Amino acid sequence: MKELVITSLLGIGVLAFDILKLRKFILPLIVVGLLAVVGASIVDWGMNENLFGKNMIIMDNYALGFTSILCLLTLAWILTSTDYFTNEISRTDLYALVLFALCGGYVMCSYTNLVMLFIGIEILSIPMYVLAASNKRDMLSNEAGFKYFFLGALASSILLFGIALVYGATGSFQLDAIKNVLATAGSGTIMTAGILMIFTGFAFKVGIAPFHMWTPDVYQGAPTVITGLMSTMVKGAAFAAFFRLYYLGFTPTLEFTASIFAVLAGLSLIVANVMATIQVNAKRLLAYSSISHAGFMLAAVMTADSMNPRMLMYYVLVYGIASLTSFNVLYHVSKFQNGAEGFDAFKGLVKRNPVMAGAMTLSLLSMAGIPPLAGFMAKYFVISHILERGYTWLVIIMVLTSAVAVYYYLRIIVSMLTPIENAGRIVSTDSNRIGLLVLSIAMVAMFFLAAFV
Amino acid sequence: MQNDLSHLQDYLPVLVMAFVALGFVVTTMVLTHWLGPKRKTKIKSEAFECGIESQGNARSPFSIKYFLVAILFVLFDVEVIFMYPWAVIFKDLGLFGLLEMFTFMGLMIVGLIYIIKRGALNWD
Amino acid sequence: MELLPNVTMNHYLLVSVILFVIGVAGILFRRNAIIMFMCVELMLNAVNITLVAFSKVWGQSDAQVFVFFIMVVAAAEVAVGLAILMMLYRNMHTTSTDVLDKLKW
Repeated sequence: MKELVITSLLGIGVLAFDILKLRKFILPLIVVGLLAVVGASIVDWGMNENLFGKNMIIMDNYALGFTSILCLLTLAWILTSTDYFTNEISRTDLYALVLFALCGGYVMCSYTNLVMLFIGIEILSIPMYVLAASNKRDMLSNEAGFKYFFLGALASSILLFGIALVYGATGSFQLDAIKNVLATAGSGTIMTAGILMIFTGFAFKVGIAPFHMWTPDVYQGAPTVITGLMSTMVKGAAFAAFFRLYYLGFTPTLEFTASIFAVLAGLSLIVANVMATIQVNAKRLLAYSSISHAGFMLAAVMTADSMNPRMLMYYVLVYGIASLTSFNVLYHVSKFQNGAEGFDAFKGLVKRNPVMAGAMTLSLLSMAGIPPLAGFMAKYFVISHILERGYTWLVIIMVLTSAVAVYYYLRIIVSMLTPIENAGRIVSTDSNRIGLLVLSIAMVAMFFLAAFV
Repeated sequence: MQNDLSHLQDYLPVLVMAFVALGFVVTTMVLTHWLGPKRKTKIKSEAFECGIESQGNARSPFSIKYFLVAILFVLFDVEVIFMYPWAVIFKDLGLFGLLEMFTFMGLMIVGLIYIIKRGALNWD
Repeated sequence: MELLPNVTMNHYLLVSVILFVIGVAGILFRRNAIIMFMCVELMLNAVNITLVAFSKVWGQSDAQVFVFFIMVVAAAEVAVGLAILMMLYRNMHTTSTDVLDKLKW
């Protein structure tokens, strides 16, 4: 409750500060507010607070863990991209939209009722449509916003129809009631159709292989800083909701649908990694890389009945940090070269800005899953659970595609090491430099802290 | 079953009425097309605007402000929908319900103030 | 549903499924952004029909309250979607989606 109230008041407060001409206090206000949210979720830990006793939203440890992860990722995102906001005329609108989207993220990881799931998804999605299209004069941003809006609306509607059908079969929107019906009576035609439609809607939202077409387009077209948010906070919230659905509600169906999950996870890994190798645009490459990580996280959802949710939290946090760093570096690199996003834009980055080059290298290697970095442990947790389930072929695909991923991540790293004539330094703000350093340290430190997960 | 059918019979006059209305429209349209003389001139095929000569294209671009006001109207208009279920159980909810609705309306008013301050409703 | 004894739950479901499929097909195959927009609304309202019918079957009102929420969400989507459309029209001077071909593969 506190977390939701603080964040939504923060969004309104940002708007109020804008009207009252207190613009220079907005950033400190947001930092203090988001830290307060993390503090509140530590205070609430283990309380299982049930909002107004209506069983719509329950702030259990799962919800609080994801709440603080989403909050920290958003905070890191804001602190590393302050220079983007100082250039923008309508920056307070962007801040407020991000904060309201974050509220949607909280609802998505704390719902116990399908109505709240839908409302949370919409609270998150509608600001994101605006943010994707926020570069008004840029045709690519327009196209990205348009595609994101229509495919997002399509996905929401499919998910919504699924919810309606599940309600028709069970007579309740409550996850525990649905679980009871599934465990005792099994699933009839309407129930099966409903569950499949909810699954399809989620697959669209998180960008899993046959439904991933919009992801590269939207990620490439949206302003790079916004793409960074989409691949961390939004993706994390979507998977938190997806996992919670199968963790609390549809658990009995997992033994029948696990094979569908496995096929789609394998398909996303293959499609994303093969497509990524032929890309010439680094932003689009990172978009395909995010699809392949969606494949990994889908494999985690597949084992929702036996897996500890903390492992998904670890994956979301680790991937979020790596993705945030890489998109942030890409933003600064392309900003200083008239928006160039090819591999050539990275040439000589080691000389031009060593901090960025180091952070980029660490984040790419973390995403590839190279051992001394946290990405390795995240993938290890998922793979070990898949092996327990006996899906050896999926594990083989995971390992082989990770090897392919190393190839295309190395192309960017090699480009950064290539020397270049008369290139100027790429300057960045203090908060950006400190933020990137902290994120880099976190990527290494979390590898050693993985034992506590 | 008998009971249900008698229930349906109450709607028979409505059905008859609908058929008569539909039939009247179709018949008159067919008759006028069939009976009336067909003389097509340029002036006759123009759109009739109370005798004033039409100027320009009807699909000419109009000011973006109309659009903005229309969109804001839709947003604030649809919020009334929450007041219907609230009004039904208003007495059961008591003071709590009243405060909840004040909170909700307060948030809407903050949005309205923001819109006005940002100048979205200025016409000049 | 005592008013129309021959109309069962399946009929309501059929109508809403037909409307929903028209909406999905419209989004996937039409090239005019305004028509695609109407199709989104069609899909959401198809769900509303299903929910109200199921609500009657189960004799509960929570699905009807959900319908209110869907309507409000639909209004918010209209605002955002039309704004995106308006921006697109100002830049491209058309509502056809054929001009959106800059991002592929």
